[in-house]
Amino acid sequence: MNSTTLSPPTQPPGLLRKLANILSILLGSRTAVTGLAVVLFWLGIGLLSLVWTPHPPNAQAFDANLPPTSTNWMGTDHLGRDIWSRVMAGTQVVLLKTRLSTDPQVVVPGGVALWGVIGAVVVGGLLGVNAGYRGGRVDQAIMQLLDALIAFPVIVLYLVIVTALGSGDVVVVLAITITGAPGVARLVRGLTLDIKTREYIRAAETRGESANYIMLREILPNARGPILVDAMLRVGYAIFAIGTLGFLGLGLPPPDPDWGSMVNDARKYIYANPIAILWPALAIATLVIGVNLFADGLREELTRYQQ
Amino acid sequence: MMSEPRIHPLALTAVDKLQRGRINRREFLRYTTLLGVSVGTAYALAGCAPAAAPASVGAPAAAGGITRGGTLRKGMLIQQIDHPARLSWVEGSNAIRLVNEYLTETGPDNITRPSLLESWEASDDVKTWTLKLRQGIKFNNGDDLTADDVLYSFSQWLDPEVGSSMLGLLSYLDGMNSVEKVDDYTIRLNLASANIGVPEHLFHYPAAILHRDFQGDWVKQPIGTGAFTLVEYLEGERASFKARTDYWQMGEDGSPLPYLDEIVFVSVDKDASVAAIQGGQLDTLFKPRPSDFLALKDNPDLQIQGVATANCFVVRMRVDQEPWNDNRVRTALKMCQDRQKILDLSYNGEGVLSLDAHFSPVHPAYAERPIPAYDPEGALALLEEYAAEKGIQLPLQVTLSTKNDLSEPEIAQTLRESAAAGGFDITLDITEPNGYWDRWTEVPLGITIWAHRSLDTMVPPLAYIADADGNPVPWNETRWVDAEFSEKLRQAELTLDIEARREIIGELEDIMQERGPIGNSYWTNEWEIIRKEFQNVIAHPANFDFYYSVWKQQ
Repeated sequence: MNSTTLSPPTQPPGLLRKLANILSILLGSRTAVTGLAVVLFWLGIGLLSLVWTPHPPNAQAFDANLPPTSTNWMGTDHLGRDIWSRVMAGTQVVLLKTRLSTDPQVVVPGGVALWGVIGAVVVGGLLGVNAGYRGGRVDQAIMQLLDALIAFPVIVLYLVIVTALGSGDVVVVLAITITGAPGVARLVRGLTLDIKTREYIRAAETRGESANYIMLREILPNARGPILVDAMLRVGYAIFAIGTLGFLGLGLPPPDPDWGSMVNDARKYIYANPIAILWPALAIATLVIGVNLFADGLREELTRYQQ
Repeated sequence: MMSEPRIHPLALTAVDKLQRGRINRREFLRYTTLLGVSVGTAYALAGCAPAAAPASVGAPAAAGGITRGGTLRKGMLIQQIDHPARLSWVEGSNAIRLVNEYLTETGPDNITRPSLLESWEASDDVKTWTLKLRQGIKFNNGDDLTADDVLYSFSQWLDPEVGSSMLGLLSYLDGMNSVEKVDDYTIRLNLASANIGVPEHLFHYPAAILHRDFQGDWVKQPIGTGAFTLVEYLEGERASFKARTDYWQMGEDGSPLPYLDEIVFVSVDKDASVAAIQGGQLDTLFKPRPSDFLALKDNPDLQIQGVATANCFVVRMRVDQEPWNDNRVRTALKMCQDRQKILDLSYNGEGVLSLDAHFSPVHPAYAERPIPAYDPEGALALLEEYAAEKGIQLPLQVTLSTKNDLSEPEIAQTLRESAAAGGFDITLDITEPNGYWDRWTEVPLGITIWAHRSLDTMVPPLAYIADADGNPVPWNETRWVDAEFSEKLRQAELTLDIEARREIIGELEDIMQERGPIGNSYWTNEWEIIRKEFQNVIAHPANFDFYYSVWKQQ
């Protein structure tokens, strides 16, 4: 008998187990898998662009407004730059890196759009859950403040921010945060108003849990599905916001590419070179659809799993 | 018996210079007409067939039979307008130009012709100008145009309270003391210093002739001698004008101009204008951008006329700030301009390459000089010398500011790429237009658009000299004040002889090229893009409309 033989551990450690669970949930949804594949595609393209692009993205090495050829797969833009190389490099801004400073260069992982959405979700989420849960004057004060913010046209807010803070990646993150937070707060407040009537909240209150505990541990985790979906949608808005901000001079300074600015640049030449606007627009659309599919699938699976 | 018109002695000197080949025909025509010689006589003196000489800017010989009627629809921003003397945008002047007229007209050929004036005469020393008004011209309220209206208009231009840019342009006048009414149809100007540009100055766009009872708001009181009357002017929306039936200029069919029934301006931006032209809702647009030109140039329903101008985008450096206070750095940046590439990428190659000086080939006394080549190695050598002296590392990091408008972002990005090999690391700071106009005189390095001026000595006094106290004038965005340049510029302003003037302008160009504060890659072309059925259309370098003689083929 091999009584001395040690049997291998039947359960992976806690973190791995969690990952395996999440993966099994994900793989259970075809929607989520499709979305994840799209997001991973762009993530891969972005990572590849850190080390290689077919041509230097800012080099004006070709004739302007060329159609797609075997050398320039997506053609060239109005300054004779290879569009595919710029689309590849543009992924970095959205998903991969944020420049905190250009001199000296300080870069943090995570794209401007992602940090902007994270900022909006954190700020908006905290304000919304406080407004919804605490109610009364706190609710009134927070929501009126946010309503006042919503009443401003977004462009005006952007201009206020650029006047006050200048331009650059961090300012773009702040702009996306400030303009996105009111919407998130409204959503979270609505969810909180619903969730706080649930019995498990009553139970927590009966247990004598603090308001902060109830908001952060009981309410927000149970509101995460819609927040997640909203956040994914906001990644798309954020990508567009980067283009708008770039147009106003608040965003990412040229010539480094981001998809929004590429759309904006190509818009000027849309009649002369209509296809140039297609590629960055397609990149934005596919990534937005990808993150949405991923979020939808994830939510469906999480809901089923919880049930 | 009619008396022979007097020919100015300087015009006779010019005939001699033309015959000896010292000046060309274009310069001769421009110069002699400024001195009061009629266009026909000038052509005759130049040895051309006088019959070929167009008598006015807006009425070239029409091919085929002229038809009357129709509406011309143009995409152009409808801006707030009050006093025509205060105009600061060409769009507003195009609206006013339909209702009010000017004493003179400078055409795209740079020749100034009489308009409301019948003729003018300059004294031998070019200090006294006698302006003779046409008789029989009526305002649209029925009043006759007389010298009183002209004097009233001068009083508005010269009144500091009104705030007209004419005040600076007519600085050779000592207020209304210099403007004298000789009789009902004759006005005399007594200049403090000689100036040959007076007739051109009278066509500066705020110089529309006003009715003597004008109160200060043109929209409420659109009284003028022009070919159209104002129907409505809705700021930000539209403006429409209908034809007068008693206009003073006659068409080629023997009836009064204009040929068109109606002009409508629709206040939409350029993108919308292009789409509307393609969709048939508009016939033309104001000042097409290079991208609009590209979008519309192959449209079979449209005709395009191009015209060379003195419009430019200058890369200007503030010489009171480091590193631009060192001429080696300024020169290095100028050498980093790949001018042809910048022109091709930012303006579709539709322009003329330039020296780094603010004098255009369309200017009458422009002196030909070779266009500097793109020389990044030379620039790098200069920067290395500078860096070694200052103890700094290359690349030299600088920030280039400009606005996201016509072609500035493309120029900035192309210059950034071209200058990398020359040792510059340029960070771009591109804002929306107002964001730049708020600080255009303040940024250390910027790209500023300068509009067309017909005379070579009109921009430099605005941008490259100091005032009487020695401070740079308000629009001197570079703070560059050079004693030799200022002195020679003054000489050029006072020099009436074309050859002598060209020699001085050449020296000014050399000074700017050698130690000046600007890089200037090219002069732009402007285009008039309009449906093919419209005839007699003029492309003017300053984007002025001359619609009184345009007709529509039915």
